[in-house]
Parts: sequence; C-alpha cells; structure tokens
Amino acid sequence: MAALMLSRVVKSGFEFLQTSFRTTSLAQRCTTGNVEQVRGYYVNWRMLRDVKRRQMAFEYANDRLRMNAIRKNTILPKELQEIADKEIAAFPRDSCPVRIRNRCVMTSRPRGVKRRWRLSRIVFRHLADHNQMSGIQRAMW
Amino acid sequence: MYRRIILLATRNRSGISPIAEHSINITNQQETKRTSVSTCPNRQRMHYNKGVCAPNNRPFSTSTALSKENEESSAPKTGVTEAKVKEEEPRKSGKENLLDLLSAMKVGVTTKKKFQALKSQKSKEQPRVHPESMESATSMFQKATTEQQAQKESLSPELVAAASAVASSMPFKKSQTESELLQQLRKHESDTEVHKKGETNNIGNIIADMKVGKHPNARSPNRPANQIRFDDDGRGYTHDRGVVNEFDAVRRRKSLFTGKRLNIFPSTTDTTETEPKEVSVPSLWDIELAGQIAAVIKHLPRNGFEEMIQWTKDGKLWQYPINNEAGLEEESDVPFHEHVFLDSHLEDFPKQGPVRHFMELVINGLSKNPYLTVKQKMEHIEWFHEYFQQKEEVLKESEAY
Repeated sequence: MAALMLSRVVKSGFEFLQTSFRTTSLAQRCTTGNVEQVRGYYVNWRMLRDVKRRQMAFEYANDRLRMNAIRKNTILPKELQEIADKEIAAFPRDSCPVRIRNRCVMTSRPRGVKRRWRLSRIVFRHLADHNQMSGIQRAMW
Repeated sequence: MYRRIILLATRNRSGISPIAEHSINITNQQETKRTSVSTCPNRQRMHYNKGVCAPNNRPFSTSTALSKENEESSAPKTGVTEAKVKEEEPRKSGKENLLDLLSAMKVGVTTKKKFQALKSQKSKEQPRVHPESMESATSMFQKATTEQQAQKESLSPELVAAASAVASSMPFKKSQTESELLQQLRKHESDTEVHKKGETNNIGNIIADMKVGKHPNARSPNRPANQIRFDDDGRGYTHDRGVVNEFDAVRRRKSLFTGKRLNIFPSTTDTTETEPKEVSVPSLWDIELAGQIAAVIKHLPRNGFEEMIQWTKDGKLWQYPINNEAGLEEESDVPFHEHVFLDSHLEDFPKQGPVRHFMELVINGLSKNPYLTVKQKMEHIEWFHEYFQQKEEVLKESEAY
C-alpha cells in the first residue's frame, strides 16, 4: 500500500515534470553554437507543489471570487452567507491563493526573493555581478 | 434610465473588481456621481484610456473618473469641458442629415480656463436647429433602449436617434446637448477605428470635429533672406538653393502616389490571383511535409536579433511596440454597449428584494470593468443565476427570493 501511494505520488510528480519537459525538450543551441544546458525539471518537490498550488488557484479563482462576493455582503441574508462559508471551506485547500509562496525561480528559495526578478538575493547578486542583468549596476553614492 | 445612456458616451478604462467594494445604491447614483466628480483629479476630457498592463495580468484598481457627459448634460454651467459648435448648414430633413451636419461642423475642444470666454461667445452664436422632424422622443427612446446590437462604421442612426431622444428629455439646452453627445459618440467611434487599424497618419482627417490645421509651406525659396549671398565669408559658395527649388514641388506632395502616370511599366493583370485555390483541408502528411521543410530551412540564429525573432515567432517574447490587447483581437469588435448595458441579462432574477439589489451591484461593477470580455461577464452573471436557483429554498425561508 505504501508502494502504491509512493507510485501515485511519483506519477503525479512526473506528470508535472513531463509538462515542463515538453516545453524544454531540445537542448538549445545558443548563438555561439555551444549547447546550453536547459532545465528539464523543477528544482525540488517544494517548487513543484508551489506550481500545483498556483495552477489550482487559477482554476478556482472565479469560483472563489463569486463565493466571496456572496459572503462579504450586507445585503444578502445571513443564512445564505453561512451556507456560502461552508461551501468555500469545502474547496480544496490548494485552491486558495494565500498558500502560494513566491519562490526563487532558479533555486526555489522561499525567502529573500525580489518580486520584480523572481530571484533570490543570492542568485540576483550572482547574475548582476556577471553582467547578466540588464540595467543593473552596483550602487555607489 | 437616461443615466445609462449618458454612461454610453465615455468608457472608463481603469479597472474595478467585478463586485463593487463600496455599495453604491442605484437610487443614490446621481448624488454620488456629483460629489465624486468634484474630487476627481482628472479634469480633461476622458478618452479611451488604455491602461498599461501585460497580457494576462490585469491589475485591479478602483475607478476614479466618471462620465463627463452626465456632468455636461445635467449641469452645463458647472461643466468642465465645453465644445464650441458652429453649425454651418441649414437642416434639410430626416435623421441622416444630422450626420451631414456633424461632418460639416467644426468643433474646438477647450479646457476649463477657456470656459468662461466660451460662455460669452455662445450667446452670440447662430440660432440652433431643433430636431422637430423627429418622431416622438419616447418612442425613439424605447426603440433605442431595446436595441441590442448595432454594427456600425460611422454613427448608426439608432445611436443618433438615442442621442436626440436623450437631449430632448433634458431640461437644458437640447440641441446643444444633442450635438455634444453626438460629438462624443463620433470621437469614440473614430478612436476605436483608429486604434483598430493602427493608423496614426490620418487622424486629422478621421476626427472631423477637430480643426484641421494646414501647415503653410515652410520653405519659401523667394524669401529675401535666401537671396542674400554671403560669398565674402571665404566659403566660396552659398546655401544650396538650386536643389531645394527643384525638389520643392515633389516635396510639396503629401504622398508618393499623386501625380501623373508615366505609363512606363504595364500594370499587372489580376488573372492569376483570382483563380480559386484548390487546397481544401491539408492532410496530416501535408502538415508533416510542411514541418519537415520548415525544420530544414530554419537556420540556427546567427546573432541575438535572429534569436529574438525566433522567440517572438514562438510566442516566448512579446511583440513590440507592446500591444496591451495582444490576445484580444476579437474583443475589439464587440460594441461597447454590450459591455456597459448588462441590465437585460437580469431578466431571470426577481425584480425586488436583496437578490436583485445584489445583482444590480454586480452588474454595475461588471459594466465598469474593462478587463473582462463580454463572455466572462456573462459567465459571472449565469453562475450567480444558477447559484441563487439552487439556494432558492434557503432564500425563500428568509423571504429574500
């Protein structure tokens, strides 16, 4: 039974890996002709789970919006609002956007991530020092 | 009801969440409008303000601007912007002549500072034309409100009729409000057309209401300044005017294709192009072959530019100049009144009670939201309809349905 569960988890994981794999199937050649290594996988399982949460939140976004509109209301009767409360609690847990964490895209670091670049501070510094970030310069004043 | 006709004249581009956060009671709408207009920071005439947003990333923000038309028609003396109208042709008869009238009109759009001067000028203007030959205002109005779809190149007669009906129902200067409304509609139409086609050269021709300034020929070779020669400087030559004189006639022409034909080359015959194409549905083998050919032809990108071209074709890179409505080409064909007048979709809901109130708020919010397609708005409304039908018993117990 444990093996079944494990296989199911691995299967769902690999579905996601396969979707990512499909988009980056060919090793890309850059302009100089060197083969660049292209990510075919997510960095870790935590990142994968975050991806799943984002997709689910996107799916249920409209429903949640409408249910919240019914709940946060002074016009509709309270009985209806209570029922709506229960219904929204019955949605899958991963469908709420609050559970999404803005992880670093390269390292999956959950903290120290700058939103504009979606990178953690360490990766950002690394790329900026190697002149890979357009318009970023070392501050000096 | 006429409040919504007035809303038709302006289209608010800043987004609002589909459910309005502050409950605007429909009966109090006019008062809230007047108070918030005074706090509205944007005094200029509101056009189709395109918000800058990435595709599939629509931020929500509260809307601050409201319809200027309401302001103008309800209280023209306190209005901010004013259109100065000079009517040049006498009315012949019938609705279509309004359009002729409008095309002949020259209107200048001014700001608040010139309002007082305009007011004094208005009193000296020529006597206005009244829409006397129109049918009764109420019948026009009914016809206009029941009309759902109006595909139009220029102003459709229904819109013109609706505008005249609205104007005649206003207590203040009727023909003036009517002309203002029509001018707004025309401008709106022209803006959308220009945006659709992407033409930026001929705005002066399209927006017929604005004064078209003609640039006098800047280079006049016979100016005395050009005739003075400064050979004494030691340069030994003057400003090269000969070339200027020769090409001046060519330069004066605004486009390439005016002028006499020389008949040097035979004009292309269109017989080959009019042959009907015989390919019906490409089979899988054809698609495969086309894919193979494309793969063979496709070269590795030699430089960064070609790489970016390839990415743009793949869809990985946005198309520049950034088009805010990149994936939404069909949406621009949908006429704006389908976005704004969502009242007709509320027929399935009860007429009274909190449910109706709630749905009216929903409709109000949706009509102000420029980021959703009409389909999405309909989906929202239908979901609510189903939901309330499911919860009918609960609502009946609390006497809300």
